[in-house]
This record gives sequence, structure tokens and C-alpha cells, in this order.
Amino acid sequence: MGLLKKTTGLTGLAVAANPHHTLGALYGKILRTIQKMPEASVYRKYTEQIVRERAAVLQQTKDVYEIEQKINCGQAEELIIQAENELNLARKMLNWKPWEPLVAKPPKGQWDWPPAKA
Amino acid sequence: MSFFLKRTAGAAANLGRAVLNNSRPAMVQCVATKTDQAAPQVETRPTVAKVDPLQKAQLVDFGKYIAECLPKFVQKVQLTAGNELEVLIPPDAVLPVLSFLKDHHSAQFANLIDIAGMDVPSRPNRFELIYNLLSLRYNARIRVKTYTDELTPVDSACDIFKAANWYEREIWDMYGVFFANHPDLRRILTDYGFEGHPFRKDFPLSGYVEVRYDDEQKRVVVEPLELAQEFRRFELSAPWEQFPNFRGNPAAEEVTNPGDDKPKQ
Repeated sequence: MGLLKKTTGLTGLAVAANPHHTLGALYGKILRTIQKMPEASVYRKYTEQIVRERAAVLQQTKDVYEIEQKINCGQAEELIIQAENELNLARKMLNWKPWEPLVAKPPKGQWDWPPAKA
Repeated sequence: MSFFLKRTAGAAANLGRAVLNNSRPAMVQCVATKTDQAAPQVETRPTVAKVDPLQKAQLVDFGKYIAECLPKFVQKVQLTAGNELEVLIPPDAVLPVLSFLKDHHSAQFANLIDIAGMDVPSRPNRFELIYNLLSLRYNARIRVKTYTDELTPVDSACDIFKAANWYEREIWDMYGVFFANHPDLRRILTDYGFEGHPFRKDFPLSGYVEVRYDDEQKRVVVEPLELAQEFRRFELSAPWEQFPNFRGNPAAEEVTNPGDDKPKQ
């Protein structure tokens, strides 16, 4: 058993008690939320890819330090925050339905720059 | 060290080439550099910003990634100044796009740096809102642009970014763009009792009132503006109209444009 982690070194971010379990639960929730989206959704495809990758690392590795090294996206506590954000986003995306076609086309000349006189 | 050597060697080679090609017209050399794509020209002029091709490729890829993930909300993605990624969206899409950029694993733009406004009276939607975001995780910046007119409210981004509170009050004060669901939409920059929105293009440079200290009343008084000189007509045409040759030169480089009417192949 190695040294116990005392601090994350980041203000306001406490050390997580059992990050392995928390991360596993969060990734499971994200995947289950994403399943409700249509198969063709690109957001679903990419998010599934990212989360499955991280979940696979989580399954193969027991040591938290090694997980951090392999995922390479910050400390376990930061990974938890990222997963929570993604879960909230995925739930909101179910309402927003971003896979549908474009809602509004820009009016003509809206994005032209410089705005030359017609 | 090796990098430095390479750079100086490249500069010398360029110099030699310039001397050799001196007698030829400039057109020929331009065509030649365009065709040999394998060796991109090294920028040696000290005052010109160097474009990093790797960073640019990553930005283009990320721009396409956003457009792919949110086909409902992204009208256009473009690059300006070589390395600044811009996502152009309709006003209804502000909340979904900002939350996607903040919460998605491969974006993580957790910091709202600024919200800017812009007034172009010749457009049907005269105001443009520009959100500047920063991702500390990936050391990247992105700009989200949307549009509105005097009456249409835009959804407030306060629920996503706490920093949006004051920035939106500034926009409200300066341009009069209304933000729906803002917790506390008051003036923030102008004086007590000020009327009007000073950054609008139709707001006169001199304002409508002047303020002075009155000795008799022993207080500061506000009076309607009196100009001693007859108000002159300033010609406020855009500076680029003096260079009509550059009218067709777009300032931005297009990455993807799903909002355009072009037929799909």
C-alpha cells in the first residue's frame, strides 16, 4: 500500500474517497443516458467512444495513480468532475436533440465581413 | 540548437533564391511556391505572426468536430487570423452550444473570458454577440458568435457561466440587447439616470446632455447639449470602402458551412 493521498493541490477540490467506484458508476450512467439517443447521432457516437475508452482503462487497472497516467486528463478528482459534466450535458442533450437538421439559416449577408455596401 | 541552425539555414536558402530569381517577374515565384506543397515556406520576417500548421490543422479538425456533433445549431465554422476558431450560431442555440463547449470531454472550455457586442446597422439583425471561451485543459480558445436585433431577447448564459452576469449587463447597457432569464439585468457602466445605449452606431458621438458644476445652485447640473458650432456632417463610411479592390476579400477562412444553400453532393 502506497502513500495515502492528502490533497489534490487544487483549491476547493477535495480528495475523493473511492474514485474508482465513483468513476465506474458515472461512466455507466453516461452510457445508459446516451443509449436513449438515436444511433445516427454523431454526439452519441463520439461520446460513447470517449467514455468506453475510459471505462476500459478503469476495468483493466485497479491503481488510481495508474488510471490517471493512462487516461492522461488530470487527477481522478478532475476526471470525476468531467464525467459529472458530461452526464449533465447528455441529459440536457436529450431535450435539445442536436442531431436534428439546422434550426435556422442565417439571414443573407449576416456573416459577411467586411460589410460592403450593396 | 538544431532548430536554430535549421532556421538560419532556411533563411539563407530563401535569400539565395530571392537573389537568383531577382530578374524574373514576381508571378512566377508565387506560382512556384504554391505548387511545392511539401516544403512550407518558413516565415522569416520578424514582425509577421507565424502560423503554426499543426495548431491550425487541430483547430480545423475541432471545428469540423463541433459542426458534426451539433448539426442542429452550427451555421458556420471559420478561422480568422490564421489561428482563431469561430463558431457561428443562431440566437436560439446559445445555451446548447455553450454547454456543449463547457461540459463535453474533448472541449472543456470552462472559462468565459468575455462577451463582446457589435453593431452593424446595415444588417437585418444588427447586433452581433461574441462569446470568447478558454479551455485550460487543452490550452485552446474559441469564439462563439450569434446575432439579434433590437427587440429579440437572447437567452442569458448566466446558468452556465457565472461570469456572464456582468458581461451581459454591459451588453445591455451599451447596445440595449435584452437577455432573457438574466437574474439582475441593470445598467452597469453608464451614469445614474443615463438614457440610451452609447455603443449603438446611431448614438451621436457628443451624446445628448452635458454635465457641469453650477456656481449659483452649488451643485452639478445636467443640461441638454448646446453645440457652439453648427453640427457638421461627418462622413462615417467604413474605411474599407476606400479600397474597393478588397471588398471581395473575406477576413475569415471557412472551415465548414452547413448553413449555406449549396446542394449536397
